[in-house]
Amino acid sequence: MDPARPLGPAQIDVLAQLAVATVLLGGIYALVSVGLTLIFGIMRVVNFAHGEFLMLGMYLAFWAFSLWALDPYFVLFVSIPVFFVVGLVTYALVMRGVIHASHNVQIFTTVGLSTVLQNVALVAWSGDFRFVRPWHLSTVLRAGGTIFNLTQVVAFLIAVALTAALVAFMRWTHAGRVMRATAQDRDAATLMGIDTDRVYRLSFAIGIAAVGSAGVLVAPLYSVYPTAGLQFVLLSYVVVVLGGLGDMLGAMLGSLIVAAVEVAGSYLFGAAWKEIFYFLLFILVLVFRPAGLFGQRGAETLGV
Amino acid sequence: MSEGATILALERVTKRFGGLTAVADVSFTVPAGELLGIIGPNGAGKTTLFNVISGYYRPEGGRVVFHGHDVTGQPPHAICRLGLTRTFQLVKPFGNLSVTDNVMIGALTRRASVRAARVEAQRVVETCGLGAHADTRARALPIGLRKRLEVARALATGPRLLLLDEVMSGLNPTELAAMVELIRRLHAEGLTVIVIEHIMAAMMRLARRIVVLHHGETIAEGPPAAIGQDRRVVDAYLGEEFVLAQA
Amino acid sequence: MDSLLRSRGGALVVFGLAAVTPLVVRDAYFLDSLVLILLWGALSAAWNVAGGYAGQVSIGHASFFGIGAYAAALMVTRFGRGPWLGMLVGVVISIGAGFVIGFLSNRLKGPYFALSTIAFSQVLLIGVSRWRGFTAGGEGIPVPFRPGFATLGLGHAGWVYMALAAALLCYAVEVYLERSRVGYQLAGVREDEDAAEALGIPTRRLKVFAVTLSAALTSICGSLWAQYIGFVDPTYVFSVDLSVRFALNAIIGGMGTALGPYLGSILITSLETYLRATFSGVKTGFAGIYLIIYGTALILVVRFVPDGLAGIAARLRTRRAHA
Repeated sequence: MDPARPLGPAQIDVLAQLAVATVLLGGIYALVSVGLTLIFGIMRVVNFAHGEFLMLGMYLAFWAFSLWALDPYFVLFVSIPVFFVVGLVTYALVMRGVIHASHNVQIFTTVGLSTVLQNVALVAWSGDFRFVRPWHLSTVLRAGGTIFNLTQVVAFLIAVALTAALVAFMRWTHAGRVMRATAQDRDAATLMGIDTDRVYRLSFAIGIAAVGSAGVLVAPLYSVYPTAGLQFVLLSYVVVVLGGLGDMLGAMLGSLIVAAVEVAGSYLFGAAWKEIFYFLLFILVLVFRPAGLFGQRGAETLGV
Repeated sequence: MSEGATILALERVTKRFGGLTAVADVSFTVPAGELLGIIGPNGAGKTTLFNVISGYYRPEGGRVVFHGHDVTGQPPHAICRLGLTRTFQLVKPFGNLSVTDNVMIGALTRRASVRAARVEAQRVVETCGLGAHADTRARALPIGLRKRLEVARALATGPRLLLLDEVMSGLNPTELAAMVELIRRLHAEGLTVIVIEHIMAAMMRLARRIVVLHHGETIAEGPPAAIGQDRRVVDAYLGEEFVLAQA
Repeated sequence: MDSLLRSRGGALVVFGLAAVTPLVVRDAYFLDSLVLILLWGALSAAWNVAGGYAGQVSIGHASFFGIGAYAAALMVTRFGRGPWLGMLVGVVISIGAGFVIGFLSNRLKGPYFALSTIAFSQVLLIGVSRWRGFTAGGEGIPVPFRPGFATLGLGHAGWVYMALAAALLCYAVEVYLERSRVGYQLAGVREDEDAAEALGIPTRRLKVFAVTLSAALTSICGSLWAQYIGFVDPTYVFSVDLSVRFALNAIIGGMGTALGPYLGSILITSLETYLRATFSGVKTGFAGIYLIIYGTALILVVRFVPDGLAGIAARLRTRRAHA
C-alpha cells in the first residue's frame, strides 16, 4: 500500500473491512480472555492449561455437530454448566493445592495439567485437524462496502452478551462484590470473614465456564486439534497483561488491540504468519508494557 | 579511612512513590567509626532510606556519597563491593543452604577462592556465636538465630559500613543482650554501623548519636539523652512515659 | 579424594556402567536405549543449569535444541560441510538466543518468564516452518548418514560413547556449579535475589550467564541428536512437549542436583522404551499415552516429592547413617 496515495473509496473500504474484522474478532477474544482475567485477577495464579479448556470446548462443539448435528450456538448453553462443573473438579483436584505454593509448583502443576489434557485429546481423538461447518458459516452479510459472515457476527454478539453478563455479575451481585474484594486484598478479605477457598472455587469455575464456552463459540472459525489451545493461551495472557491484570474493561480494550494487531498483520504479511503475531506480541508487551495500558496493581507479580 | 573522616553523606535525599513522599529532603553525615541510630514511628521512611542508600531505590532528588564516591542510583551489588552492606528488616536467609554456606556466599564478595571464603565464613560464624548451628539449614533456624545469621552474612562481605535494619525485633531478652553485645564488639573493632531500631532501651545503650525520622523528614538529631527529652520526638512517638523511663 | 569418590559414587556407577555396556552388550535396541538415556539426561542436565541451579525455570529450551539440530542438519545438507561445524554455529546462535532469554529473565518473574520462553520457542517453530526456501519448512530435513567421526556417522557403540561424552560434559558443568565461586553465588541468586544483590552478587549478569551456558549445552546435544536420529522437523524439535521433557527428567530426578537429571532420564526413558515395546501394535495414540503419564507424574512429583529421586536417596542415606 503506497502511503502517498490518497485514501480513495477502495482504500476506505479496506480500512472499514479491517475495522469490522477487528471488532468482531475482538469481541470473541474478549470472551476467551475474560475467564482468565477473572481467574488470574482473583487467584493470582498463572494457569498454563487455560488454553486446553478452550480446546476441549472446541472438541465438544465438533462432536456435538458431527454426531448429532447440533449447532454450536445450541451446544453453547449446555457447555456453560458443563464447563462450570469441569472447573469445580479441576479446582478441587489440581488448583487448590497450588494457590499458596511456590512459583515452581504453580508452573509445573499447570504445565503438567496442560500436557495431560492435550494428550488425552490426542489419544482420544487423534491429531487430525477437525472442522465444524454449520450452515451459517457460508452465509455472507454485506453492509456498506464490508463483508462478513453470519457465524462471526453471531459469535460476536453472543460473546459480548456473555461478557456483559459476567461484568454485571461482578458488579451488581453479592458474590461478585465478594470476589472483587478478594481480588483487591486477599488478606483483608479473610479478615472480613470471607471464605477465600469458596471464592477461588467459584472464580475458577466461572472462568473455566467462560473459556470452555468460548471454545464452543469459536469452533466454526478455527481448526480443531489437540494443541489448538496454545495460541489462545498466549493471546489471553497478552490481553490480561495489556488490560491490567484483572480489570474486565481493560481486558476488553486489550482484546481489541490484539485483534487489531492480528487483522492488520494478516493483511500486511499474509495469513500464514498470523500465529506468529500472538507470540511476538506477547514478548513485546511483557518487555515494554508489563504494567498494562493503565499501569495497574499486580504488575509486581510480573517481577517488574 | 581515618577516624572522623566522613564515610557516608546524605545530601537532600528525596524518594517519592507516586503521590507519596516517603523520604523528604533528608541530609546527614556519618563520620567513620561512628555508631549511628535511626529511629522513628512506623512508616517514617527508615527502611526506604536504607533502600535508597544501598541502591535498591533510585531517589527522585539528592545524592548519596559513600567514601567520597557518588553512589546515587548505582546497583546494590556495586555498592556492596565498595564496602557498604545492609541487612533486611524481614530477614532473607538462603533457606535451603546451611548457615556456613549462607555466610560463605557473603565472604565470596571479597575472596576469589571457595576455600578461602569457607575459612572466613567459619571464622565469622564463630564470631557471631553461630558455631553450634554451622551445618543447620537456614530454613530450620528460629527467628533469633536467623537475625544473627543475617548479621553474620553481611559481616562476611567485609564492609566498611554496615546498615542493620531492625535486627533486634522479635528477640527474647537473652538474644537481645547477645545482639547488643555483638554490635558493640563489631563497632569497637572499627566498623562503622548505622542501626534502625524500635527497641529504645537497646538503641539508647548502643548509639552515640541518633537521627529521628517522622513522615520522611528528620525531626531531631543528637545524643540519646537529648533525643529522649526532645518534645518533638516524644510527641511523634506518643509514648512519654515509655521514652522517659528508658533514658 | 576419598570424599570425592563417596559423594560422586552414584555418578561413578551410572557413567561407569554406561561406559562398560557396549563392551558386553551387542543388542542394537539396548544400545539405542542407552544412547537416548544419556542424551536425554544430558539435555535435562543442561536445562538444570538454568532451572535448578539458577532458579530460572524455562519451558522453552526446545528453542536451543532446535537451533542446534537445524544448524547441524543444514550445515550438512545445504552447505555440504560437517556436522561439527554445524554444532559450532548452533552454539553461537543459541548463545545469542540465550542472551534474549536472559534479558527476559531479568524483566519477568517466575511464571511470566516461563510463558515468555514458550512464546519464544513457538516463534522459532513457526518461523522455521514457514521459511521453506532455507529450512525446507514443515517437511523437515533428513540428515544423511555418512560413516566416520568427522561426519558423526558412528556405529551403535560409537554413539554410546559420543552420548556419554555429552552427558559427562553437562555433568561436569553441573559439578562445577556446585563447587565454584560462581556456583555458590548462583545459589544465592536462586534462593533470594534481593539478598544476593545486597551481598555484592551481580544477579542480573549471573542469570544471563547461566541461561546462555544452558543454551549452549542444549544446542550441542541438539546437534548430536540430529545426526543420531537422522531427521529434523520443526514441529518436534521446537515443541513445548520437548521443553517439558527436559524439565521433567530434572524434576523427577531432583532439580538442583547434578545426578538428578540422569536419574530422571533413566526412569523416564526406560518407561518410554517399555511403553513403546508394549504398545508397538497400537501405532496411533502411543505418543499421547506416555505424555499423559509424564504430565501426571509432573503434577504429583512437584507437589508430593519435590526433591525427586535424589532427595529420596539422600533421605535414605541419612536414615541409614543414623541407624
